[in-house]
Amino acid sequence: MTKISCRQICFIMLIYTAVSKFIIYPTYLSYYTGRDLLFSALINFAVQGVIVWSVSYLCSRTDKTFFGLLKDTFGNIFARIIFGLFALFFLLATINPLFEQKLYVHDIFYDTVPSLMIFLPVFFFLVYASAKPFLNIGRCADICLPLFLLSMLLILVMSLHEVKFDNFLPVFTQPKKIFSSSLASVFRFIEPAYLLMFMGRFRYKKGDAAKITISYIGGAVFVLVVLAAFYGIYGDVAPTRHFAISKISLFFPAIDLVGRIDLLALYVLEITMLFALVLNIQLAIECIAQCTGYENRAVLSVAVNAVFFLILIFCDNKYNAISTLFSKWMWIVFLIFANLIPLASWFLRKKNEED
Amino acid sequence: MKKIKKYVPVLYWAIVVALLGLYFTNDFGLVDIHKTSFIVAVGVDTEEDEVQVTAQIAVPQPSTSGDSINYIEVQGSGFTIADALNEINAKTGTYPQLLFCQLILIGDSCKDKELFQVLGCFYRRNYSELTALVAMCEGKASDMLAKPASIAPENSEGLQKVLSHELEKSGNVTKANLKTIAEANFSESKACYMPYIQMNKPGTSQNGGGDRIGGDDVEQSQSTASGSGQSNGGQGGASAQSGGGQDEPVEFTARKTAIFSEGKFAGILDETQSFALNMLETSVDMAIIPCTVGETEYTIGLKGISGKADFKVEKGVPKLTVTFKANAQVQGAKKVLEPHSVVNDDVVKKEVLDGAEKELKTRFENLIEISRKTGCDMLGIRKQLHKYYYKYYDAFKDDVLNRMEISYKIEVISTN
Repeated sequence: MTKISCRQICFIMLIYTAVSKFIIYPTYLSYYTGRDLLFSALINFAVQGVIVWSVSYLCSRTDKTFFGLLKDTFGNIFARIIFGLFALFFLLATINPLFEQKLYVHDIFYDTVPSLMIFLPVFFFLVYASAKPFLNIGRCADICLPLFLLSMLLILVMSLHEVKFDNFLPVFTQPKKIFSSSLASVFRFIEPAYLLMFMGRFRYKKGDAAKITISYIGGAVFVLVVLAAFYGIYGDVAPTRHFAISKISLFFPAIDLVGRIDLLALYVLEITMLFALVLNIQLAIECIAQCTGYENRAVLSVAVNAVFFLILIFCDNKYNAISTLFSKWMWIVFLIFANLIPLASWFLRKKNEED
Repeated sequence: MKKIKKYVPVLYWAIVVALLGLYFTNDFGLVDIHKTSFIVAVGVDTEEDEVQVTAQIAVPQPSTSGDSINYIEVQGSGFTIADALNEINAKTGTYPQLLFCQLILIGDSCKDKELFQVLGCFYRRNYSELTALVAMCEGKASDMLAKPASIAPENSEGLQKVLSHELEKSGNVTKANLKTIAEANFSESKACYMPYIQMNKPGTSQNGGGDRIGGDDVEQSQSTASGSGQSNGGQGGASAQSGGGQDEPVEFTARKTAIFSEGKFAGILDETQSFALNMLETSVDMAIIPCTVGETEYTIGLKGISGKADFKVEKGVPKLTVTFKANAQVQGAKKVLEPHSVVNDDVVKKEVLDGAEKELKTRFENLIEISRKTGCDMLGIRKQLHKYYYKYYDAFKDDVLNRMEISYKIEVISTN
């Protein structure tokens, strides 16, 4: 079986954790928790960080894949059912980021009012990239790392001078909202589910669990810095600003003279965002392949992306409804698949019978 | 399966050809520079229940000589700014978003309205970026946008020059943009401020020296944009101004500051009060103040300035400490120059430093006085109370401006 390296998993944890939370998440948190948004995000990252460590440490105890663990514990049929459910989960997890991408691209990269047609060619890329085999996931992460670091460096350098840290005071004035918005944001945190899929797909060496967890913390730090910059710059006006990552560098003095040079970084960052989106679809296809035993990824990729294509067309102007659906109801699904099942995987039969 | 694989290259070529077809036959929403225009400045006036919006629009022109932009003023009206902009869009034949709008000018007539009812449109979704400068102007905003500026070929550029970063650094102007006014207004202080722009005849100035900067008033033009839609735009090449060349160029000054409390106009700070506000609220590198010592009038240059209004609650008593430090240098004196004594001016005499401190204290006192009188918390006292002394917030929020004890720590030392 082709294996990806631990380094590539670390990159995935670092980059995709961050870029998937740069578009609407900061605005959402600003609206619901105001100046306490960092605490709300910290709760999510702390919980997820523990689960990420738990799953990556589990990888040191077994060289089986997650499918193998399920199969050895509950049998083949059950494992296929669970993977079928995981396929649905990853499909579900793709919907919100896909709509966010559409809104982001429309709003940031066009001066006029673009039509849906402008965004649809993205499916040529999605179909092609998600048809690629599992090994490709790691290679994409390798490509994305320098792009991510360079663009983030530029954006943050252009942003941080405008941040007013007293915008975060006073703290804990509405603690209930911190927890409720953490719960409602759970659907944006699915990294432990990624790790479950990577189990047995990389050769575990001593210390890899720590490396993966630290990488995840690195991704969390990037998100927290962007959240801090966003709210530190916009304060109480932050809820009116969508697409946070594109708004934080606007006050850089040189932009007045030379124009939106930050857009260069945003274009580059967009590439990593697309790869993060592709990862969900690739994992969904992987799960469908495991569940059905049908291995032709090209066909699966066309089928899965056709579903997203139709969703995008029929729900073109329904982002608010979709977002509300996910934050109000779907958190339960995400809590189960990205939190409880990864933790419960410790109870699966880790050793072969002959061991 | 093999049959399908055989057709994969054909399928990919078909997709490539289809994409190329789309690419060369559809503009994909890209902007044709010849068919578009950009709003670079907006003037907002109100009349009864309606908003009148005058947009200064840059129209790119095909040109090989470098003169490639025409500026025109187009007016629209409606119940909201968006409504008025829709009319402007209909008149210009394009749908310009406000992403390139760098200046929002609010006319005198908006004094009676809720500020954020007038400006609300700019904050909805991503209609415009919050970097656009905001200023109130004397008279109608449409008139001010229609007048050619003497210091810049384009009117909005001239207006932006008097709101420039350099002037802000010299304490001569209060700078505000959509973000800062919204942040201040929606904070616990519920107060914001913006520069107040006036027009003067070029080549004139205000007598009296010191902070009295300006000139003869300009009569409000009756011939420009008001009322009936599109004003006459400059058509004869780059940056020509409206009015068909009939209007005389004007000078703009923005030394005064319009203040707003709870979204409503609360008054205008004069030049000295604005100066005091700038010293406490913005980072100023170099400022000039006049002071009189005995019978001699001095012009003092201040450098290394640090000023802040520090609010504290000590033993249950709210206290405001106005701290100001600067290095002083004599830049001018109304006395006969004696070469030998000028050397001694490098070390500023104590009585001159005392005079400067006294002048500064008077300005800070005037600023706080008007803040108390109007209830406009432009120094952000309630905001500081809420942020740093949250447990006292409910007790003090209503009368903290009048209740707080005020002390001044003003230290002006000689540069040498």
